[in-house]
Amino acid sequence: MRALDKKLFRDVWRMRVHALGVALVLGCGLSVMVMAVGMRGSMERTRAAYYAERHMADLAVSAVRAPERIANVLAQAPGVETIETRISGIALLDLSGVSEPPSARLVSLPIEGRPRVNDLTLARGRWPDAARADEILLSQAFADANNLGLSDTLNATIHGRRQTLRIVGIANSPEFVFVAAPGELFRQAKRFGVIWMNREALARAYDLDGAFNDAVFLLGRHANQSETIAAIDRILEPYGGVGAYGRDRMVSDRFLSEELRQLSTMAIFLPALFLITAAFLVNIALGRVIATERSNIGLLKAFGYSNTAVAWHYAKSALIFAAIGAFIGSAAGIALGRSVADLYRDYYHFPALEFSASPATFIGAWAAGLAAALTGCVFSVLKAARLSPAEALTPPRPTTFFSAGPSLSRFEASLDAKSRIILRRIVRFPRRAGTTALGVAFAIALLVVARTMPAEMDYLLDVNFGVANRQDVTLTFTEARDSAVLHQVERLAGVLYAEPFRLDDVILRHNGRSVNEAVFGVPEQARLSQIVGARQRVMAPPASGIALARALAEKLGAELGDEIRLEQTRGRRISTNVRVTAIVEPMIGSSAYMEIAALSRLMREPGRVSGAHLRMDTARYAAFDRQIKQIPGIAGVSFVGQAETAMRSEFEQGVGVMNLIYAAFAAIMAGGVAFSAARITLAEQERDLATLRVLGFTRLEVSYILVGELMALALIAIPAGLALGALLSIWLMQLFQTDMYAFPFVFNPAGYAFAVAFTLGCVAVAALVVRSSIDKLDMIAVLKARD
Amino acid sequence: MTNAAPSHQSAPLFALRGICRTYGEGETAVRALIDVDLDISGGELIVLLGPSGSGKSTLLNILGGLDRPSSGAIHFRGAPLTGQSEHALTHYRRRHVGFIFQFYNLIPSLTARENVDLVGEITDDPLDAAEALELVGLGQRLDHFPSQLSGGEQQRVAVARAIAKRPAVLLCDEPTGALDVKTGVRVLEALQEVNERYGSTTLIVTHNADVARMGARVIRFGDGRVRSVETNTARVPPSALVW
Repeated sequence: MRALDKKLFRDVWRMRVHALGVALVLGCGLSVMVMAVGMRGSMERTRAAYYAERHMADLAVSAVRAPERIANVLAQAPGVETIETRISGIALLDLSGVSEPPSARLVSLPIEGRPRVNDLTLARGRWPDAARADEILLSQAFADANNLGLSDTLNATIHGRRQTLRIVGIANSPEFVFVAAPGELFRQAKRFGVIWMNREALARAYDLDGAFNDAVFLLGRHANQSETIAAIDRILEPYGGVGAYGRDRMVSDRFLSEELRQLSTMAIFLPALFLITAAFLVNIALGRVIATERSNIGLLKAFGYSNTAVAWHYAKSALIFAAIGAFIGSAAGIALGRSVADLYRDYYHFPALEFSASPATFIGAWAAGLAAALTGCVFSVLKAARLSPAEALTPPRPTTFFSAGPSLSRFEASLDAKSRIILRRIVRFPRRAGTTALGVAFAIALLVVARTMPAEMDYLLDVNFGVANRQDVTLTFTEARDSAVLHQVERLAGVLYAEPFRLDDVILRHNGRSVNEAVFGVPEQARLSQIVGARQRVMAPPASGIALARALAEKLGAELGDEIRLEQTRGRRISTNVRVTAIVEPMIGSSAYMEIAALSRLMREPGRVSGAHLRMDTARYAAFDRQIKQIPGIAGVSFVGQAETAMRSEFEQGVGVMNLIYAAFAAIMAGGVAFSAARITLAEQERDLATLRVLGFTRLEVSYILVGELMALALIAIPAGLALGALLSIWLMQLFQTDMYAFPFVFNPAGYAFAVAFTLGCVAVAALVVRSSIDKLDMIAVLKARD
Repeated sequence: MTNAAPSHQSAPLFALRGICRTYGEGETAVRALIDVDLDISGGELIVLLGPSGSGKSTLLNILGGLDRPSSGAIHFRGAPLTGQSEHALTHYRRRHVGFIFQFYNLIPSLTARENVDLVGEITDDPLDAAEALELVGLGQRLDHFPSQLSGGEQQRVAVARAIAKRPAVLLCDEPTGALDVKTGVRVLEALQEVNERYGSTTLIVTHNADVARMGARVIRFGDGRVRSVETNTARVPPSALVW
């Protein structure tokens, strides 16, 4: 090994604490990068493979009732390669020991063979016997959440009729990787599942013998999707076709795409903070090394080493930092990726999801790490290269200090000498002070983001359940009923108050654009289910005309006063025009809203309602449940209160893990930066601090200078960190928001306080660890030491 | 050998008996001080002379509470200094000792006045910083930072800093070691002025034999032992010194 390389390794060993600090900060950033990019790739590959292997539908469509012979016509539509017709519906389930019945989507299995589109994978058990009407396959997430296994039976109310179903297999489908009940914001594995069952049994239940109400399609490689959709819609128009749609509107796929998008965001946002900090840390550490190595640089050049050789020698130490960081980041990224893959596998029930990051991912991460380290070292290294040997061999000029400037002079005068030392060092070394403050601010910002996201979710849930949906139970009728039915509902056990609602699935058309959405009919004086806008303002439905959510209005290109077309997709399939009389900004959902009586008149069903929201005496749920199961014509019972509990608990588990990871990252960021700064401050001030000890200052008094500087910088960083955290939160929430919900800005004082307290704690710990060196200061050496 | 102070001075400020200081153990042990007995009276100006490694700085460190003897006893104003805790030694330095270093050891981020004030902050009845700096001839340079002062000026700030607490003892380790003759003389003048005006016992460690001519007593060191103690009957002012 060349002598210079030996020196390099010894130098790096001497700087090992700084090297470790840089490597850890870099490692955090790169680990997230490897995890997020790798996970995104793994998920995409897994999804693609799963979709290909199980023939995930390219298009889907629902109809009211289409004769089976139409399937052949549909199969001839341009671009269609394979079609599978199905019967689909919703069942209420009666699980022993569960007082509030969950529900399930019912999907028919082909009479012969396996589904050609949206095929299933069996996790356990066997396929149902085509001759047995009661044998079913149950979705794995729902089975696991409710502890249901093979041979267990379920009582289901299907289209008003009770049936006993026997589980013979537990299955997963690419169609239902993510399952949410219709109209629900979040997945509730315990409350909503999927049942695949005998087609003939379902046909009998829904009176669809020789017909279907749902079809899924695979398209040919060169199919023009919009052309195919148009053809399918034309064919199914007489049979109540609701309009075919592609994967972009399939709930499960949309959710997965959303998850992938979030991984991409994470792959950029978190690593960026860490890489910037690492670059600054390298800058400071190397700056210090080159300052102390000044005479060595002079000697090397005097011996004949070129400027380039000297520059390269010092740049290599930054590269070693980066290499250690890349190693830590890669290893931690793989570990993190594997545990995230486990989480995703359990959550989505992918048949196989293995984390694997491509060589390109690693190369990308290493390149990013290298770039950060090189950017960090470039100024110091250039300085070393430019230093002339003669200059380098003379002692450095003493550091010149100056007063903090006229703006700070009054403040400076009010300080004691020790605090003045702190202030002047901060003003004298602004880049270093800035780096420390930046690192601390980033750590605070990270924690603010980590604490704001759950607070936003909490707020959304509060609004959803506290203002928008205050009912305990929502009953949905199989078809619109006269509002007199409310009197019957009010007589059910435990019902305190019933509020009608109307919901019509429609196609809204305007200016050649169309959107499938629901129009909600809301009573003017609604008390339970209300339209909620910004700052929780409750909005009344317009007395006449229709109110559109802004997102919906934008999709349609509709403005206030425009006339839009409504086409009912179920029931009488009324087509009519209506004027936009309000554009609202609901926090949840992006539907259309009308006054309930106006909507029922418009749909030519005056006085008819789709269901009722109920306020209940929750102690009487059991009696209510018994009665409701006996009533025909109830399509669904949604226990809103229970949904809230389930959602909050699932949510809190996720938040717990996330908070832990963010806290660890913030601790490394703040601790690493503070530790590095403290070590350099100590190294630079060792002589001064020892002098103070000789002069009779106690350890505590001397420690104040070291710890005080760090804490002062941390205090300066607080407002910047909080502001940055708030801005990042707003940006991330805007990225995460969808058609389903909008996030308002939520100020979360407890979260902000935690972010500050935790970060200051990390800085204090780092400072105190370094402070212990003050106890070991060599006071005698200082008497002889030259400045 | 007992090197007692002149008999006309009663209770000594320092009484050292059998002081030994050994660094390391076994074959590599270095005996820096061997069996030193010494009495130092209040207000004396003593010059400790000797070549490098003769033990004079070790004695200064022990008197300043920076180092502890391996054996022997020291009394300061009749109270034992040996066997004291780290905390007690810090307070001893804080209350009674002024240090002057070879390389000044000023805090670079504080002005001349603030360097002096710094000591004032931990002392009950300090001299006014401006007054202390006036005394060493730096009344016009109060608000200069160390980097703006010459070596001699910096050392005079260090003298002002040391005397600001009105110390019982001033310990000066090669105070002129880094200075040319002219500035060195000015520093020594300042030390003598302080010694005379405030009566601080002053010990000056030097290997410059000429400086010895200004001391009331001259203690010569060699190989860790006190080789001689001379009372100077013909003291000369610093301005008469040449080296």
